[in-house]
Amino acid sequence: MKQHLGRQSGVQSVEVSLIDGKVNVTPKEDGRIDPGQLLKAVYDSGVSVAEMEVTARGKIIKDSSGNLALQTDPNRSFVFAPNEASKGLEPLAGSPTIVTVRGQLYKKPTEKKQKPDASAPLKLLILEVQKKE
Amino acid sequence: MNRKKLALLILLGAMVVAPAAQAQIKHIEMRVEGMT
Repeated sequence: MKQHLGRQSGVQSVEVSLIDGKVNVTPKEDGRIDPGQLLKAVYDSGVSVAEMEVTARGKIIKDSSGNLALQTDPNRSFVFAPNEASKGLEPLAGSPTIVTVRGQLYKKPTEKKQKPDASAPLKLLILEVQKKE
Repeated sequence: MNRKKLALLILLGAMVVAPAAQAQIKHIEMRVEGMT
């Protein structure tokens, strides 16, 4: 799995902890990495992802459907799952302020019958707003 | 005078572009199951 993840585009390094089942991925300097692709790569290597968290920085935007999102590069944005933290960022939509957030991008469905869909659009549930610049 | 204006334009342009260029994913952490 480590080698498989390391071959994905935008990946600088991968650290795997067998003890607590954690996988840490450090992106390359440009930060252009596709979390959905990583999720798929893990599943392809026969391991299931229980949870995925990201730390990302970008601008707060409203997408074409009016959803609040974090734009991490001109071609990629993550729609927020609504919560108190995302409501607090709403006034920054469209402003040049760069926000650093830590959030949950994926959580394995709790119902056993529900098959995880790694290709479904990922929504960012903000856990912490770390910085506004 | 023109040089001053040009320098000011470049400075303002850099101020606008730089934060956008710094937007990125900094770290990803996954908790996985079924790893041997």
